[in-house]
Amino acid sequence: MHSYISIENLAKSYGVVSAVNNINLGIGKGEFFSLLGPSGCGKSTLLRMIAGFETPTSGAIKLEGADITDVPAHRRPTNMMFQSYALFPHLTVGRNIAFGLQQDGLAKPEIKKRIDDVAEKLQLTALLDRKPAQLSGGQRQRVALARALVKRPKVLLLDEPLGALDKNLRTETQLELVRLQRELGLTFIIVTHDQHEAMTVSSRIAIMKQGQVLQVGSPLEVYETPQSRYVAKFLGETNVFAGGRAERNGDELQIDSGEAGGRVHAAFTDRIALDAPFWVSVRPERVQLATSGAGLEGTVEQLTYTGVERHYRVRLTSGATLDARRVNHGCESDLGVGDRVFASWSPQASRLLAE
Amino acid sequence: MSAVTTTSESANWGSRLLIAIPYAWLLVLFLAPFALVAVISLSTVRLGMPPFEPLTAWDGSILSLRLNFENFLYVLTDDTYLLAYLTSLKIAAISTAVMLLIAYPLAYGIASCAPSSRSLLVFLVIVPFWSSMLIRVYSWMSILRNDGLLNAFLLKVGLISEPLRILNTETAIYIGIVYTYLPFMVLPIYSTLASADRTLIEAARDLGCSRVSAFWRVTFPLSLSGVAAGCALVFIPVVGEFVIPDLLGGADTQMIGRAIWLEFFNNRDWPMAAAVTIVLLALLVVPIVYFQSRQSRSRT
Repeated sequence: MHSYISIENLAKSYGVVSAVNNINLGIGKGEFFSLLGPSGCGKSTLLRMIAGFETPTSGAIKLEGADITDVPAHRRPTNMMFQSYALFPHLTVGRNIAFGLQQDGLAKPEIKKRIDDVAEKLQLTALLDRKPAQLSGGQRQRVALARALVKRPKVLLLDEPLGALDKNLRTETQLELVRLQRELGLTFIIVTHDQHEAMTVSSRIAIMKQGQVLQVGSPLEVYETPQSRYVAKFLGETNVFAGGRAERNGDELQIDSGEAGGRVHAAFTDRIALDAPFWVSVRPERVQLATSGAGLEGTVEQLTYTGVERHYRVRLTSGATLDARRVNHGCESDLGVGDRVFASWSPQASRLLAE
Repeated sequence: MSAVTTTSESANWGSRLLIAIPYAWLLVLFLAPFALVAVISLSTVRLGMPPFEPLTAWDGSILSLRLNFENFLYVLTDDTYLLAYLTSLKIAAISTAVMLLIAYPLAYGIASCAPSSRSLLVFLVIVPFWSSMLIRVYSWMSILRNDGLLNAFLLKVGLISEPLRILNTETAIYIGIVYTYLPFMVLPIYSTLASADRTLIEAARDLGCSRVSAFWRVTFPLSLSGVAAGCALVFIPVVGEFVIPDLLGGADTQMIGRAIWLEFFNNRDWPMAAAVTIVLLALLVVPIVYFQSRQSRSRT
C-alpha cells in the first residue's frame, strides 16, 4: 500500500533513552490522524520528526513516496500549529499570518488575498491589526491555526492544539477543526493526550506507549476492539478480569474467571490463544444490573450521578470491583448503595485481550 | 469582609513604603544635590568659600534674586565647550556601536549554550568587576605604553619595527571605554536572548525561514529591548566619563567630564562647572526619554 505519508522503522533516541522506538505508520491523504498517548510516550517527538525539528536516529519519513527525512524544517511542505501557539509577539495578527507567505516571496496582492481568505474563514478579520498580547486564548488559537493553514501545507501538524482552551471552547473548537479539515481536504496529524478529543476529531487513531504504536484504527475499531489491556484501559473506562478455563459452545465461549467470581460469556474468536494468559474486558455502559437473575453477584458500593449517566461501582463476591453505567432517563434509580445485584452482559460485549 | 479590607489596606501601605524608601533615597542623594548644582550654575563666581555668590540678598527691606545666565550663554557659544560636548557624544556613540558589535555575538553565544554552562560564562563576563576600575585602567596604561606589553609583543613578533603610539590617543580612550563598559552591554542583551521563547524560532523555521532569516525576522527584533537597555546603560555614563579619557587620552582629546573637572578644580569656577553639568544633563535627557518611551510602547 502506498500511503500519503509513510513512516518506516522510525526511531529516535537521546543517548540511551529511546523516545521513539521503531515505528511504522501509513497515513492516507485527507486523513485526520491522531497520535494518542500519555505524556512521554513519544507522540510529540514523532510529530516533531515529521515537522523536521528532530532528526531521527534511524528510519525514514516519506511524503508522496519521496523521502523527506533529511529535508530541513523550512523546506518541508508541512506546517505546525504549536501547543503554545508560538505567535510572534512583536508582529500584529496580520503580519503573523503573512510571515510564511512573505518568506516564500509571494507578491503583496496575493498575500493580502490569502490573508483575507483565511481571516474570514477563522473569524479573524476584525483582529488583523492587533498584537497577540491583546487577544484571548481562543483568538490566539485561531491565529496560530490561520498562520499554519495560510501556507496551504500538504500536511498540517497540530501539537496539543486545544490544550490551553477551557472545556466548552475546546469541544466547540474540535468540531470546528473537523469542519475545516473536511472543507480544505488537507491531511491533519494531531498529537493529543485526551482520548475524548482523539475520538471526536480523528478518522484514525494511533495509540502510543513508551515510544511504540500499540494499535491503529478508526475510533470505532480502537474503542470496540482493543487488542491489549493497555489500549482498552487507555481509551475510556473498562472492566478487566483475568480469564481462566475457557469452553467453546458453538459461537460462544464460556470462561471461568476467578477474579470475577463466576462464569462470563464471550463471542468466540480465534484472534487470541486461550491457553496463554488472557483477559476479558467489558465496557461499563454494556453491563446490565438486575436485582435478580443470572450473572456475577455483588453489592452496589457506590453510586454517582453525573447528569448524563449514573455510575455504579459494584463489589463482586470475588472481591473485585465492577463498574456499570446507566443512561439517565430522568427517573430515580431503582438501585441504591448496599443493594444486592446481578451483573450480566451480552457475549458480544466481551472483549478477549492478550497481555 | 472587614478583615479582608484591612489586610489589603495594610498591604497597600506596605507597598507604598517599599516604593517610598528608594524614592526618598533618590530625593535626598540625587535630586537635592542636583538642585544645589542648578542653584550654583546660576550664581556668580567669587573668591572665598564657598566660591560663588548667593543667589538671594536681603538689604533690610528688599529680597533680591539675582540669576546669572552668563555661564550658560558662555557654554552654549564657546567653541571649546561645544567641541568637548561633540567629542564626548562622538566617543560615546562610536564606542557604544563597537560594544554592540562585540557584545551581541558574545551574548548570543552565551545564550545558545547549555543552561549549565551559561552561568559560568556570565560569571566570566562580570569577573573584571572584582578589581577596581581604576586599577584596570592603570593596567591598560602599562599595556599601551610605548614600551608597554602590547608594543613589546608586536615588536618581538615582528609585525612592527617601531613602537606604536597608542597611549594618550583617542584609540586608547576607545580601548579603555569598550573594555570597561562591555559587560553593561552584554548582560541586558544576554538576558533578553536567554529568556526568548525557543519555539518562536521553530515556528519561524516551520514557516519557511532558514536559520539566518529566522534570526533576523524573530530573534533580533525580539532582543531590541535588551539592545536598547544595553546602549542606554553604556552611552549615558560614557558621555560623562572622566577617568578613562584623563588617564588614557591625550591632551588634544577634550571630553566634557574632563572639562567639568578642570573648571571645578583648576579654575575653581564652580558656577561654570555647574552650568556645563546642567547642559550635559539636558543633552542626556533626550536619549533617556526616548529610551523610556520606547520601552513603554513595546510593552503595550
